[in-house]
Amino acid sequence: MNRCTVTTGFFVLGRCGQQAVASCPQCARPVCAAHAGPGGLCSECATAQGYTNQDPHHPSWTGGFRRRYYQSSSHAYRDTYWYSSFDEYDRGAFNPGDDYSHGGDWGDDDTGFVDS
Amino acid sequence: MFWRKQKAAIERFHPLHRALTLEKGFAVSLRRDDWEPVIQSLARHRTEIRRRRWLLPARVPGVLVPMLRIMASDMRPDGVLSVAADVRGPRLPEKTGPQYDVPVQRPVLSMKQWYAMDPWLRMRAELRDGSVLELSVTDRVRYRRRRKRNPRGKIKIKTKTKTTHLVRVTRRLAKDTAVQRPGTPPPPWIRVQVKQGRRMMFRANGKLPGPLGEAELIDRILHVSTEPFRWTPPGRAMGRTTT
Ligand SMILES: [Zn+2]
Ligand SMILES: [Zn+2]
Repeated sequence: MNRCTVTTGFFVLGRCGQQAVASCPQCARPVCAAHAGPGGLCSECATAQGYTNQDPHHPSWTGGFRRRYYQSSSHAYRDTYWYSSFDEYDRGAFNPGDDYSHGGDWGDDDTGFVDS
Repeated sequence: MFWRKQKAAIERFHPLHRALTLEKGFAVSLRRDDWEPVIQSLARHRTEIRRRRWLLPARVPGVLVPMLRIMASDMRPDGVLSVAADVRGPRLPEKTGPQYDVPVQRPVLSMKQWYAMDPWLRMRAELRDGSVLELSVTDRVRYRRRRKRNPRGKIKIKTKTKTTHLVRVTRRLAKDTAVQRPGTPPPPWIRVQVKQGRRMMFRANGKLPGPLGEAELIDRILHVSTEPFRWTPPGRAMGRTTT
């Protein structure tokens, strides 16, 4: 089965992994029904062509805002690696349906911080 | 009957949206997908509510809603997102600290100074890589009330305020998560602390001179939040222990 490879998440990136219904006419990545935007474009290509939703109440807002965030945070930290690692992940269509392992239990509260 | 239509609209709101409208706050823990109906209800506020006392401050659509979306996008469906929001503002007795006198020079006759601490947003999210993120935004407002004699001998009283946004973000990683030290230090206005251990913790504190508009405030909150994630950059250490 072909799975949707659209990037999900904000700080913890993943792949959508839902069953694909089409492939993006721009970049050819498989997209599911929820992620097929105007003209069947994937979210990233739709964003690149200016179809961003500026209203944070809308479910597609996060995906459009994300790239702008990585650009501005990379700039604030003078950390080009931060942006390029995002960009590479976002453009690479590998590893579809990424899911995350359980993190286990949460211990007692915070003490003993040191400056980094 | 006054405001009949708007009262009816509030009755149809999601209970948390109603609490935000009428009581100006809520504190609750919900699973990820239970936040979507809250956001969809909040989306109707602007078109359905006109009455001034029921309007929501700009930080609700401008900061709270974007942060709900961002946190939820990094969670599994069964992850829990806890939120305490308080949009009553800093001018409440329980948020106000003691007044004290500040030494002055003529023509100022006396000056009192005090602070208000307004922790208006607190969030805790169980993220899908097994880490836990905690975030708080507190407005610290300094008040200075001056009594001054003007050139014609009249006494004038003037109060000035100065707002600072204090942003604190803590991320506790899942056990034995691989990390890499970021290549550049954070900007000078962000202070970072690291706690070593099997479950590493990162804490970033940002101090932002305000008051900032919502668009800039959300950017800055996310900049403070960035540091704890720079140690596990996308596509590299993805919070997964290889077995
Ligand atoms: Zn595409
Ligand atoms: Zn998808």
